[in-house]
Amino acid sequence: MKGYRKYFGAKLIWFGVTLVAAFMLNFILPRLMPGDPVAVITQRVTQGMTSQTGVQKVYEEYANLFGTTKPMHEQFILYMGNMLKGDLGTSFSQYPRPVSDIIRSSVWWTVSLQFPAIIVGWLLGNLLGALAAYLKKGWDKVLMPVSIFVSNLPAFGSAIILLVIFGVQLSLLPTSGGYGFDLIPNFSFRFIWSVFVHYQLPFWSIVLISIGGQAIGMRSMAIYELNADYVKYARFLGIKDRKIIGYVFRNAMLPQITGLALSIGTMVGGALVAETIFSYPGLGSTIFSAVMGQDYPLISATTLIITLMVLFATFAIEILYGFIDPRIKAAQTEQ
Amino acid sequence: MKHILHEAFRSPKFVTGFVIFMAILALVVFYPLFVTDHPLAIIGQGTFFPPGIYVSVYDTTNAPQYTMMLPEAEGNRIGAKLGDVEREAMREWLIDFGIPRAEIDIDDTAKLMTLWDAYYDPALRFQGMTSARQKYFARLDASLEGLLVMEPRVIAVPNTETGAFEASQSIELTDFVNVNEVANVRVLPLGTDNFGRDMLTQLVSAIGTSLQIGLVAGTVATLIGLTLGLMAGYIGGLVDDVIMFFTNLFTAIPGIVLLILISYSIGQENRGAVTVAVVIGVTSWVWTTRAVRAQVISLRNRDHVNLSKLSGHSIFHIIFADILPYILSYVVMAFILQISSGILAEAGLSILGLGPKTTDVPTLGLMMRWAMIYSAHILNKWWAFFPVIVAIALISFSLNLMNTGLDQVFNPALRE
Amino acid sequence: MGKVMLEVRELTTKYITRFNEDIYAVDHVSLKVEEGKSLGIAGESGCGKSTLALSLMGYYFPPLYYTSGDIIINERNISGMDPDEVRKSILGKEIAYIPQAAMNALNPTQKVINFVEDVIHAHEPTATKKDIYDMARQRFEILGLPAEVLQKYSVELSGGMKQRTVIAISVILGPKVLIADEPSSALDVTSQKMVIKMLRDLMDRGMIKSMIFITHELPLLYNVTDDIMVMYAGQMVEHATAEQAVFDPLHPYARGLMGSIIVPESGLRGHKLAAIPGVPPNLKKPPSGCRFAERCKYVTPTCRAVSVNMREAANDREYRCIFAEQELREMYKNE
Ligand SMILES: Nc1ncnc2c1ncn2[C@@H]1O[C@H](COP(=O)(O)OP(=O)(O)O)[C@@H](O)[C@H]1O
Ligand SMILES: [Mg+2]
Repeated sequence: MKGYRKYFGAKLIWFGVTLVAAFMLNFILPRLMPGDPVAVITQRVTQGMTSQTGVQKVYEEYANLFGTTKPMHEQFILYMGNMLKGDLGTSFSQYPRPVSDIIRSSVWWTVSLQFPAIIVGWLLGNLLGALAAYLKKGWDKVLMPVSIFVSNLPAFGSAIILLVIFGVQLSLLPTSGGYGFDLIPNFSFRFIWSVFVHYQLPFWSIVLISIGGQAIGMRSMAIYELNADYVKYARFLGIKDRKIIGYVFRNAMLPQITGLALSIGTMVGGALVAETIFSYPGLGSTIFSAVMGQDYPLISATTLIITLMVLFATFAIEILYGFIDPRIKAAQTEQ
Repeated sequence: MKHILHEAFRSPKFVTGFVIFMAILALVVFYPLFVTDHPLAIIGQGTFFPPGIYVSVYDTTNAPQYTMMLPEAEGNRIGAKLGDVEREAMREWLIDFGIPRAEIDIDDTAKLMTLWDAYYDPALRFQGMTSARQKYFARLDASLEGLLVMEPRVIAVPNTETGAFEASQSIELTDFVNVNEVANVRVLPLGTDNFGRDMLTQLVSAIGTSLQIGLVAGTVATLIGLTLGLMAGYIGGLVDDVIMFFTNLFTAIPGIVLLILISYSIGQENRGAVTVAVVIGVTSWVWTTRAVRAQVISLRNRDHVNLSKLSGHSIFHIIFADILPYILSYVVMAFILQISSGILAEAGLSILGLGPKTTDVPTLGLMMRWAMIYSAHILNKWWAFFPVIVAIALISFSLNLMNTGLDQVFNPALRE
Repeated sequence: MGKVMLEVRELTTKYITRFNEDIYAVDHVSLKVEEGKSLGIAGESGCGKSTLALSLMGYYFPPLYYTSGDIIINERNISGMDPDEVRKSILGKEIAYIPQAAMNALNPTQKVINFVEDVIHAHEPTATKKDIYDMARQRFEILGLPAEVLQKYSVELSGGMKQRTVIAISVILGPKVLIADEPSSALDVTSQKMVIKMLRDLMDRGMIKSMIFITHELPLLYNVTDDIMVMYAGQMVEHATAEQAVFDPLHPYARGLMGSIIVPESGLRGHKLAAIPGVPPNLKKPPSGCRFAERCKYVTPTCRAVSVNMREAANDREYRCIFAEQELREMYKNE
């Protein structure tokens, strides 16, 4: 148990450190902009505004929120205080809607779209990769080039292809939005069905993206493990191949879990872009429209939330991994 | 090195990737020699012209004319206006109007047209018919105007004095021109985009720019990663700890977040292709750092390195002569991957609206962005986005194949 | 003369590389081990010792293929036997193996006892867990290993402990022949001694009937095995008693090995600090004459022209050289 405590303790500390770093980054980056950041930010959004008082109002609001007149450390305290209150400022493009309100209405769409899709893609990809490594001849020849090609399709590419095939050509599924545009969110069957149908294309395109890369990773891991010394030894003690394959896949799978923890950030990045293709009402589309509307407060908050999501997912995976791989426990007790 | 290249070219994967990549490169280099238009020149007024050969209508009237009696000409002429879809639609309207189905034979063009001319009324809107459908029928009716009239067309020019039109030329149904003899013919193999720009010319130029972006991003990332990895691995101790702290930090924080924030801070006006490439490079060095560091650590205490240290060689000599040659293969592989991920990153950023400023050069990402904004995917204008996706996929496919091929040469355990 | 436990006649096996080249790493090798005896096999790294060890077990999988020759274990000719039959009735039971990399020979994510169960179940599917545990515990204790080892993962064991665990597992089914491939090269001196003592112990207790001990350090075999064979480039070049091979080697290569500086095999490839100048021939295209000719001090044009066979010498010795025993002794005297 001591070993575990050490591992989890270390992971928890690291989680804390990355969280602090994420907030620091979010705090510092806008302040690194040359000149008066508040002026730069507001000037961009107010380009088209004719009312001078309107511009002034936006400027003052932001000067207040940033506390630009105060020294840095006080600005940081102010910033952290706002964060704790959940005050992320006011959106420019949807003025005067609070940013936290916009985020709240989009974050769950992203969470419930991306995480299931990434996990399903991960599982399917590992299964295919293991099959490719094991069956080698034949299947490997077909599966590998196909998954290499698919994994090289950019995230938005497979999204568009699915959209065109199933949404436009076959007209089987809706092409955009999170639910029918003529519906109002409620718990009726019609609404839930609409959400389900709209979920399909974004979901499967994210699954498709994650499959390719995972399959390739799993295949090389499995081939590497198949050549490991313990495989040879077990074989020469007369253990059946099927049993040995069991060892190999378990061992190949474990690093894939760490791999998932390391690559989840990249995957989420790709998935965000895919979301915009479907105008899915999640964080991807929020960023898209925030950039269009030069809405810095919204961009900043969205990226912060994405970072937090990714950090949290990584942390959860690492904790899970600690429980399944005995090597973690051993490595920690040795020290 | 020679040996490695020799081995690499025996790997079918590497060769396939290499051939594809060289073909793309050849296209980028040689295409502009034949088509010298500016890639962003707007040639079409209107959006999304479909791929095809465009023949100047004006010039056809001036081209030498030949008379040809082709039996299928009339059928084709009618078929172009009145396809199966249109015939079905006409029957639908007539049935709704009240004509018994049995009386309508949609295969007999003359009878169908007679019925249509007799009963069609654009003002009628039946139960359940959308206004879009009603407009469709109106358009259909207009396009059928004079369909069965088999008379020559007359071209008239205004008399400069009276202003009245005078016939100058009569075009028979059997008149033909040779496309080669028409003064202006433009081939648009991939049609035009939403702004009326030649897609193929733009695509080739965009591939070139995107490759440059990938190259710059890859170089920046590799240089940073190599320097940090060498320092962390070779010096070790506190330097290693500090570098690894930041490496782990930037592995944990999603790269796209940094990309978005930095790109936005730079501002639209200042974002040239090179700037975007540098930003991508600056945010994607972590993997190279990790790989290089791991390799350097395993090399650090090898005999030949120790020997070099004992003989009092400078740290630069040791790094360039005793360490770099051994990790070169990893660096090259990481570099190849960085190029393709750099191209992908640019595309992602551009779709979000944070790519290079749009007036300078086309990039694959920008082409994608405009296609999306103008809903090419929903309008089914495949030529506006599909070639772009294929180009991106082919570039990264070929780079990855080369990489896998090299990997198998360097790590024989991954053999077939 | 004791009962012959293992006899090999003209065994040839080859690797087929992914470029479809043949590497004959074991080329017409013959040997014989009697009950109660041990045979040492020595040779430079890359000369085919490990390949020979694997080939002796009559169980082949890519990239290693059987070409020709006979393997007779305990009076049964196993060449040409159905592979699954070899697996069930020969491996582990008649002939067992300690791999060169014993450090990595155990599946890192499996407890030792579970692996022992798998080994025994592969041969006796009906054995109960309890019986297996009791038997394993008893065996381990006889060999001086604490019973707790059984409940551990291999990553939790120290290097020397891992090595001894592997040995204990290898002999758990009481094989007639044990092949140890460099069991001690990766260990420190104390652990080396312990391993060698353990192997001798196994012989003395009759837990194994005979042993083949492979090493790249010829001098190490003195006092460990009864007979010694020296391998060079896939072929046998000298066969004698340990005493003769170490103190009175006939083949110029065997003499060179005695004088060579001992370097760990895992050291720098291609930078060997050997006393014998030159490098072994490429096994993809071995020379047609004597394979050692390029590096031999006493080389004559004939050596390169004619292929050389094993020849007999006094005291039941064998060696592979065109010179007669007497001529060689004359040459060596004049050094
Ligand atoms: N898996 C393999 N595929 C191809 N060639 C191999 C393989 N393993 C070993 N070889 C080749 O066979 C020869 C003998 O290797 P090995 O039996 O491992 O030598 P040793 O154990 O004496 O060091 C070497 O030339 C080596 O390159
Ligand atoms: Mg060996």
